[in-house]
Amino acid sequence: MVEQSLRPLAAVLVSAVAIALIVASYRHPNVRDSWSVAAAVAKFGIVASMVPGVLGGESYRAPALAFAPIPGSDVTLTLALEADALGVLFALLASLLWIFTSFYAVGYMRGLDEHAQTRFFASFAASLSAAVGIAFAANLVTIFLFYELLSVATYPLVAHDEDGEARAAGRKYLTYTFFGGGVLVLAGTVLVFVLADTTTFGATAQALGNADPTLAKAAFALLAAGFGVKAGLMPLHSWLPDAMVAPTPVSGLLHAVAVVKSGVFGIARLVLEVYSPAVVADLGVGIYLAAVAAFTLLVSSLIALRQDHLKRRLAYSTVSQLSYIVLGLALLGPTAIKGGLLHIPAHAFMKLTLFFCAGFIHVETHTDYISEMDGIGKRMPLTMAAFAVAAAGMAGIPLVAGFVSKWFLLIGAVEVEQTIFALALLVSGVLNIAYFWPIVYGAFFESPGEADSKPLLEGPIGGRFGAAAAGTSGGPAVATDGVGNGADGSDESASTSDDSGSPSTGTYAVDRNPSDHLSPEEQERRRREAAEAAEAEATAEDESHDDTDHHDVVHDDHGHGGTTGDWEAIGWTGKEGSWLMLGPILAVAAGAVVLGVVPYQAVFLHLIEEIVAGVAF
Amino acid sequence: MSDVSLAPVGLIVLPLIAAAVALAAGVARERTGWAIAVATLLAEGGLAAWLANAVYRGRGEILHELGDYGRPEEFAVGIELVADELSAIVVLLIVVVSLGVLAVARSTGPRGNAFFGAFLLLNGGLMGVVLTGDVFNLFVFLEIVGLATYALVASDRRPDAAVAALKYLIVGTTGASLYLLGVGYLFMATGTLNMADLAAALAGNAAFVDGPLYTNTLVVAGFAFIAVGLFVKAAIYPLHAWQPDAYAEAPDAVTAYISALVSTAGAYAFARIAFDVFTPAFFEAVPAAAWAVVTLASVSVVAGSTLAVTQTRIKRVFAYSSVSQFGLVVAAVGIAVHPAASPDAARLAIVGAVVHLIGHGVIKGGLFVAAAGLARTAGARTLDELSGLGREAPFQSGAMAVLALSLVGVPPTVGFLGKFYIALGAVEAGIWPVAAVILLSTVLTLAYAARFLERLYFTPRSAAPSAGADAAAGVAADGGENTAADGGDAGVDAVEQDVADAPGASLGLKLALVGAALLAVVLGFAGVEFADALEPFVTEVVR
Repeated sequence: MVEQSLRPLAAVLVSAVAIALIVASYRHPNVRDSWSVAAAVAKFGIVASMVPGVLGGESYRAPALAFAPIPGSDVTLTLALEADALGVLFALLASLLWIFTSFYAVGYMRGLDEHAQTRFFASFAASLSAAVGIAFAANLVTIFLFYELLSVATYPLVAHDEDGEARAAGRKYLTYTFFGGGVLVLAGTVLVFVLADTTTFGATAQALGNADPTLAKAAFALLAAGFGVKAGLMPLHSWLPDAMVAPTPVSGLLHAVAVVKSGVFGIARLVLEVYSPAVVADLGVGIYLAAVAAFTLLVSSLIALRQDHLKRRLAYSTVSQLSYIVLGLALLGPTAIKGGLLHIPAHAFMKLTLFFCAGFIHVETHTDYISEMDGIGKRMPLTMAAFAVAAAGMAGIPLVAGFVSKWFLLIGAVEVEQTIFALALLVSGVLNIAYFWPIVYGAFFESPGEADSKPLLEGPIGGRFGAAAAGTSGGPAVATDGVGNGADGSDESASTSDDSGSPSTGTYAVDRNPSDHLSPEEQERRRREAAEAAEAEATAEDESHDDTDHHDVVHDDHGHGGTTGDWEAIGWTGKEGSWLMLGPILAVAAGAVVLGVVPYQAVFLHLIEEIVAGVAF
Repeated sequence: MSDVSLAPVGLIVLPLIAAAVALAAGVARERTGWAIAVATLLAEGGLAAWLANAVYRGRGEILHELGDYGRPEEFAVGIELVADELSAIVVLLIVVVSLGVLAVARSTGPRGNAFFGAFLLLNGGLMGVVLTGDVFNLFVFLEIVGLATYALVASDRRPDAAVAALKYLIVGTTGASLYLLGVGYLFMATGTLNMADLAAALAGNAAFVDGPLYTNTLVVAGFAFIAVGLFVKAAIYPLHAWQPDAYAEAPDAVTAYISALVSTAGAYAFARIAFDVFTPAFFEAVPAAAWAVVTLASVSVVAGSTLAVTQTRIKRVFAYSSVSQFGLVVAAVGIAVHPAASPDAARLAIVGAVVHLIGHGVIKGGLFVAAAGLARTAGARTLDELSGLGREAPFQSGAMAVLALSLVGVPPTVGFLGKFYIALGAVEAGIWPVAAVILLSTVLTLAYAARFLERLYFTPRSAAPSAGADAAAGVAADGGENTAADGGDAGVDAVEQDVADAPGASLGLKLALVGAALLAVVLGFAGVEFADALEPFVTEVVR
């Protein structure tokens, strides 16, 4: 049942209107920021009002705009918005999380006293408008339009910092997304239209099934690759880690929720409605998509292991988790698709929590690197607790959202008799633990002077062998665990820790006068380090360090954002920083738990069951 | 005087007479040129509206025989003026762009009745190109356009401009001569110069020919010469070499005008001759011609964008961009007449060609007006000098950003609409290499267009190179406070001094610019209007 309604259009436009209001109130920050919140609440309200109808099998269609009539025939390509279950799933998620992100962004931008906040919030509103447009698009032309507008709207957010690194990231971002969108998705859309005389979702499957298989497969590949750029499928994922130079609200909402989810949403529309799983199975292209997804989810997890910059690690984790969704969709079985679709909100809640934590840590302590976060659980207990919960969910621990979707995915893989993908998912779960657990462990159970070494971060790729591992260091950044005793920590942790506080190996006599077993270069290095450490102790230490990605694990000139020695112990009472940021963190983390405990009652699984019920297998 | 078939006559004659009036009035009283030009163009606007109303809402093709020589033995002896759906829309473009440029020229100059005389002459020539139904008459008007443009390019009397004008003159005249040679061959083969009669004769429908003449050597050679001549006018790679210098060195208002209209007229002429004189039947008989056209056009698309990326001066970037964009238009024309194209594909390609022709005129004219405005506001002539102007000149930068995105082809702007139809036509026709080039043109255009966005908004003003001696003198006069170590601040001071000294963009310029940006977006939603308006023409060509 299709109901005519203006609500899909209103949901898209409410934040477009907010853009004008935000720009107009640029002189009054409180008014300006409240427009963001108001628009988010309004958007969520409009989308939520459509949920009951959609759960009952209805969809809401807004009046279509004739866009490109085809001369010589009576077919007209239209711009059309229709809110069905799949669209409402994405729109509901994006608008709900935008409410929390609005508060968080206000706290973040003010906490860092950022420039160009009006442009920031206006671009944010525009991005959400485009994201909801993608959600409610009723045909390929409309989804392409909003896809391109999303790229344009998010560019100012990526290049926000206006320094060389941000501009380079912005350029890469534009290149990838315009190549993905403007070239590949457009090519696929045009080809689908030529084959099927329409681009409306749900109306093309039969014609594509009957068309020339080569062309149909080509169209599928083009659309999958085009949407796959934003969905972070390898090798088109490379823009995402670089886009982490953006302020953290951007990295969180856009590059963990809105932009990347619009990519997987496009793939969902492609598999479920443009082609339908039956046609995809007939053409035999699902297995290729599944293979790419499986490759992505394993390799990006491996790359994540080596990232010391927290946001970059989260970015690679995002790349990996998005491929869970794509894998679920590509497996084509009902349970797998259910799992893939459920991972959209599950991952969104969890990843947003993680990004919010990372941003909060940045604002409060100016710490961005995992190797400096040992013991930070003392300083930011609630934050790291939320981080731990979300990380557990990412690994698939029950009671948090990630478990439910992963459960469906595993069963789904076995259901379509492709158990190898279930194995890939299990391996990925282990890798998830491998790259999240050290952060949590280090935060709560270690402290800056006494952290264990982190060989994954510091060691060369391929490891070290035999004698080389015993005492000498291979390069400027390598830890040794043979020198001194374990309680002392290694050279690495001593150097990374604050020099003026804890005893550093630089001041021991054995390092000022190194013994014969060390190679001449190593002796020289130790001597130099001892001299530098002694010097550094004498001078005041509060240098902020640059957030470059070329970060060595050993860095001689950083500070713990002003603290000396161990972290200040803040209790569990929420005094660790602004509640504008802490509130959303806890709320979204709670959301992840709710979604893990009662996914059906929390609407999302119910929506997904409705979606899957309507798909032709 | 209520016979609408006099409107084409008025549209051509009025500006030509007004040009003479402007020159004469200049003898008596200087500074009247602008007023005469505006009055003429407003009158032309009225005539154009009248004509468009008749063409689109009623009568279809409007025909006027100059001199009433009639058609003895069913052959036109005199010159016919023809206004059909394609001409009428280009006429509207010419009028709108002319008015916009006049709004800009009032403040940016050049001034003087001689300038406005040449301007009106160019306007008349353009109207003639668009409204004529005779291939030799087309040559005459192309020459009028050319001569007026050579004069306008050199009109601010700078030596670089004079060299650029001379280059354009030599290359342009060569192109026109090649076109004339082609016309001569056609005349020898068919005995007529009237477009409709030529079409009939080539198709073998005239009394004195035995059958279709399409494969006749004279005819094929004629097409080749005509095509190359018109490609010179439209600046298709590798015949484009005159364009970057001419655009870059001409005064700003002139560049906006010629970029929007002169190459457009050349591309229009090619489309007209390919569609109406040779017709798709010729290309079916001589497929190599169609392949040559689409191949050359595709190369132009890629080469133009690649060359644009390497440029540092703003006007040169846009000039090479035009090479690329006209490649798209010519590719669309080639697809429409290509033997491999089904009628559906041909129709899509024709609509795409026209939409992109008009859309590009609006976008490119707007971009050059933006360049003019930013040059007057902040002395910005190179990309680096645009740094940080997003804050200092928000409306101009915003309009430039919208126009740049439209050029890239971001929906829902007109730049996207044209490209979309062309891509649809190419894919429907199954000409995959050309389709790939058209689709890739988005990213190729992004390569040079995104740099504008980046410079305007995401590069701090202090990164702009400061002006020359004046700035340095200002810094030194500060009493040595601005030392070398303080170079960043000194750079900012010098740059701010540029801004303070610059004359600033006038209201007319800003209105024209914002108008162009709005038009680019509004026309993006006008797909229905375009398709409906062009439908009779499309059905006539694709029979």
